[in-house]
Amino acid sequence: MATNRDDFTIAIRSALLQKGAKQRYSLFFFICISILVFFLDSFQSKTMTSAKSLLNDGVYRISSVATSPFKFVVFIGNLSKKHFLTYNENKILKAELAKFRAKDFQNDFLKSQNRNLQEILKSSIAGDEEGVMAKVLLDKESPFLKSIIVNKGSKSKIKKGMPVVSSTYLVGRVVEVNYLSSRVLLLNDLNSRIPVEFGDRAVQSIMTGEGTSKPRLKFLPENFEALEGETIFTSGKDGVLKPGIPIGRIELFKNEPSVKLFSDPNQLSVVNIILSNFIQKNKL
Amino acid sequence: MALIYRNFRISLGNAGPILLLYFLSITEIDTEFSKTFDILSFNLQLIVIYYWALKNPDILGNSHIFFAGIINDLIMALPMGTSAMSYLIVAFVASYIRNVTVNNSLMTDWFTFLIAIFFSNLTYLILISNFSDYGLSYINLFYNSFFTFLFYPLFWLIFNIYKALIMVKIND
Repeated sequence: MATNRDDFTIAIRSALLQKGAKQRYSLFFFICISILVFFLDSFQSKTMTSAKSLLNDGVYRISSVATSPFKFVVFIGNLSKKHFLTYNENKILKAELAKFRAKDFQNDFLKSQNRNLQEILKSSIAGDEEGVMAKVLLDKESPFLKSIIVNKGSKSKIKKGMPVVSSTYLVGRVVEVNYLSSRVLLLNDLNSRIPVEFGDRAVQSIMTGEGTSKPRLKFLPENFEALEGETIFTSGKDGVLKPGIPIGRIELFKNEPSVKLFSDPNQLSVVNIILSNFIQKNKL
Repeated sequence: MALIYRNFRISLGNAGPILLLYFLSITEIDTEFSKTFDILSFNLQLIVIYYWALKNPDILGNSHIFFAGIINDLIMALPMGTSAMSYLIVAFVASYIRNVTVNNSLMTDWFTFLIAIFFSNLTYLILISNFSDYGLSYINLFYNSFFTFLFYPLFWLIFNIYKALIMVKIND
């Protein structure tokens, strides 16, 4: 029995301390270094944060360059696929264009009516958002984290928490800012929580990421039955996001409301980071 | 000249697993297929580390495993050192298994790999849930571990062929 225990200890010690012919340091040494790095990073000391920010910028750039040949192949594939689909798409678009032209007149009328009503209410009319266009450097997927890295950082006045849109649809918010790059947490990430509203009665809810392609709606009123197809907007209740940014449409799965996002988080190449809300706050 | 060429070929062959490991850590090419199949994702890095740490530890040095882990943490926005720790745990289990076993077959490798995945993910889980604010889906972690375990024989076969190719070149 004692011999067995001795053998086990010897094998463990050997596995930890043994160095191969070409290795300078043992596994034990690197495990200690990892623990040290982990705790230094967890305590978020100023030196470590700046060093990490520098490392992030470097690694993101290298990663972007290393990935570019594969991105090019995917781009060519998508391009040829698009080329074959263009003819059919053109037909559909023509029909849709006619429909939208008709709607446009109605839209103009509603816009002017809305402006008049807002003036009556003396509410401020939001102007065009000041935004920074950013290119997606990396969108490495992970089962645990849904985020993208963009090529704009604190140099372009990006700050943590800023909303990120694609066309006019919300895709996420900035969670990490380096000097030349930032990380955007996507709406379908497990850690994403966005206050939203929808429907004629402006029902309030929290849209939570589930790690899957469709976020869920939580904290709905009791016995509430959501209608499929209703459009979800930001409610602005968090005081960070501007109200009224479109997000997606409700889809029901086993009577549970989930959100089909307008902007596919897997297909982002260029996004817009909205600065104006933050600038206004800073000025105040 | 022939000797230089031969040595170059051997070095290139030996560098393959290291390059693959760094490549998987640094590029956005990944083994997550949620777009096609919702639960399908596996951790190829763990397979690469386990196989080469078990079969030929001199090819995949501890320092490379550590740095690949650090790069992976930076890319995935995990606290620095988390992946490095979990990769080193896999290398440690592989090293232990190498010390206590004489005859390695696919079956022994495969089932001992389960122990490596278990301890690696346990370390990952403990570090993430106790020392960071990151949310973690246990079910996703389970699926990831399950598919990593499931795909091991396939990569075992591929790496075995690759290993045989390098060996031939060494013995040329």
